[in-house]
Amino acid sequence: MNQWKNFSKGFIKDNPVFVLLLGLCPTLAVTSSAINGLGMGLATTFVLVCSNMVVSLIKNLIPDKVRIPSFIVIIASFVTIVELIMEGFVPALFEALGIFIPLIVVNCIVLGRAEGFASKQSFISSLIDGLGMGLGFAFALTLLGAVREALGNGSIFGYKFIEGDAILVFILSPGAFIVLGYLIALLNRFKKAT
Amino acid sequence: MNLLTVSGSPHIHGDNSIKKIMYGVVFAMIPAILVSIYFFGLDAVKVLLISVIACMFFEWAIQKYLIKGPLTINDGSALVTGILLAFNVPSNLPVWIIIIGAFVSIGIAKMSFGGLGKNPFNPALVGRVFLLISFPVQMTSWPKPNPLFARKVLDAITGPTPLGNLKEELTGGRTVQDILEHGTKMIVDGKEVLYQIPDYVQELLGNMGGSLGEISVAALIIGAIYMLCRKIITWQIPVAYLGSVIVFTGILWLINPNIYINPLFHLVTGGLMLGVFFMATDMVSTPMSPKGQLIFGLGCGIITVIIRVWGAYPEGVSFAILIMNAFAPLINKGFKPKRFGEVAKK
Amino acid sequence: MAKKESSFLNMVITLFVITGIASLALGGVYNLTKEPIRLAKLAKAEKAIKEVIPGFDRLEIFTVKPANGTDSLVFNCGYKNNELVGTAVESYSNKGYDPTQIKIMVGFTPDGNINNTVVIQQKETPGLGTKMTSPKFKNQFVGKNPKNFILKVKRDGGDVDAITGATISSRAFCGAIQRAYDAYEKENKKIKQ
Repeated sequence: MNQWKNFSKGFIKDNPVFVLLLGLCPTLAVTSSAINGLGMGLATTFVLVCSNMVVSLIKNLIPDKVRIPSFIVIIASFVTIVELIMEGFVPALFEALGIFIPLIVVNCIVLGRAEGFASKQSFISSLIDGLGMGLGFAFALTLLGAVREALGNGSIFGYKFIEGDAILVFILSPGAFIVLGYLIALLNRFKKAT
Repeated sequence: MNLLTVSGSPHIHGDNSIKKIMYGVVFAMIPAILVSIYFFGLDAVKVLLISVIACMFFEWAIQKYLIKGPLTINDGSALVTGILLAFNVPSNLPVWIIIIGAFVSIGIAKMSFGGLGKNPFNPALVGRVFLLISFPVQMTSWPKPNPLFARKVLDAITGPTPLGNLKEELTGGRTVQDILEHGTKMIVDGKEVLYQIPDYVQELLGNMGGSLGEISVAALIIGAIYMLCRKIITWQIPVAYLGSVIVFTGILWLINPNIYINPLFHLVTGGLMLGVFFMATDMVSTPMSPKGQLIFGLGCGIITVIIRVWGAYPEGVSFAILIMNAFAPLINKGFKPKRFGEVAKK
Repeated sequence: MAKKESSFLNMVITLFVITGIASLALGGVYNLTKEPIRLAKLAKAEKAIKEVIPGFDRLEIFTVKPANGTDSLVFNCGYKNNELVGTAVESYSNKGYDPTQIKIMVGFTPDGNINNTVVIQQKETPGLGTKMTSPKFKNQFVGKNPKNFILKVKRDGGDVDAITGATISSRAFCGAIQRAYDAYEKENKKIKQ
């Protein structure tokens, strides 16, 4: 398997948010600013890489009938580790992401990759897949967050370029749906052209 | 299949077209336009012109350069959207906000879905709600009406809408009677003024704070009668909508007149009449069958009252119509119009 | 290596081992992060206090039941070299536009002036009521003494400029400060001892 293709598919071709439409709950909820999107994306990447590695390592040791509970335990453990580390070392981000950190457990993309990819592939492939998918997820969330922050708050990564208020709806929940819809439309158009 | 046989000529030609309907709607809106100019002067003309020009421009530009399809700018639908959008905003709204609203109405709510006939939501309402959420301060500072031929120096430039004033004071713990009789002291531009909710006759004529097109119930009803006679709209949605509002608010009023105001007040204030006749009757985004339209109107009425009485916003017409727009496909599925030639089931 | 058979024993052993390793790992991480989390929580609580009262080296915390209202107010008295430099009172209002309680921290200097205020919790309408966190609104309270600065919005006969379009939120904010001040006045003697 071509490892570069395996890695890069997460960004455009099989992007978890724009193409697979997985993990939309955190996608829509936390992307009110670029930094929140990036933080959520990286946290998910960490969980995804770790769970993919562990699942591919022990895939032959797990009996088929209990594979889903086993995967969930593994994923939940890594999520809790991320949560504890974030709470201790980056409390500001922890507060901004709030309930959505524990919810990484039920993020479809993590279980989806464990079940659909890592449980059938080699260790290296799974690691690269997790990295690619995770970074693709982080890329999508950051992009979404940056667009929403720019339109809704007049700033990017906290750097303000418009004084005063911008178009407030974009940092509220309807704005998340509108921006996501248009980003997907743009991507489809871009993919059609190439 | 005898039914499908076409008889010999001559046939009667039904000369309805999109263009005819749209310009009929525009004609029906003329009384309300005149009233808005009478009360808000040049500001109203400015808002109307900018909104219409911006809507027509975005429609033309998107069709020509993005969709690259046939140009339908002459069918009048962008003109209707432009006027309705202007009807839904205060007359002192900054120009750039109106242009954003026009872009949202045409670009997001209409063209994204494929243009006229394919939009699931009423474009002008999407534009209004977008602006209301995005610019709450500008969208809720209402200029006081100042009649054109009896201009006087006003003690304040802006004032509340009757619904907004009522909601705020009720939340503050006052009773309906107290608010109506004694008015509300408020500070506008550093001066203390007494705001009195106008009486019903004034409200009927349009002498109250509000958006351009919603103020005069009388003018809107004249337009509605014209549209009903020309069969541009059907009676089902307006009757169900108004009926459910009257019944619902009437029940609340009978339960406790201290905290729930009477149905008449609900009818003559806010955007109810504008919404009922000009936006809830939009052909594209509402159900097709008469039964479905009755249900649509009923839903609109109930949601409107719920938002007005218990919601966070003083006015709920636009939200109610948009929410019911979302249900329109479902209602269409449940209440299909009868197929031509269908035999009733025994 | 062949896939393990789904026999009862295999399943029990697998799950047991996985959960066992997971709990060991979590226990380890918990121990590692226990101290930083405690410090972070402490810093967060102190951050609001630090913003409303000037440099202190010791805090004395107690709660007071206000005359009107059900919840207690938290008093944080800041001392520097055993001398009172300010009192941060955590107050609240239930009269916001949103049912969520508005929580603010008000700092009083020993002579009863408002030093600063910080909004700890609010869910008011975005763009309107949320402006209570903006300096433009907040700064009008700085340095004022509620004795001669009436904590009511101007249209209610007070001295406070309400936020445009958010009179109710402004009223709630003023009410919360008033509540803090009333309690502070009552407790003043006890604190100064």
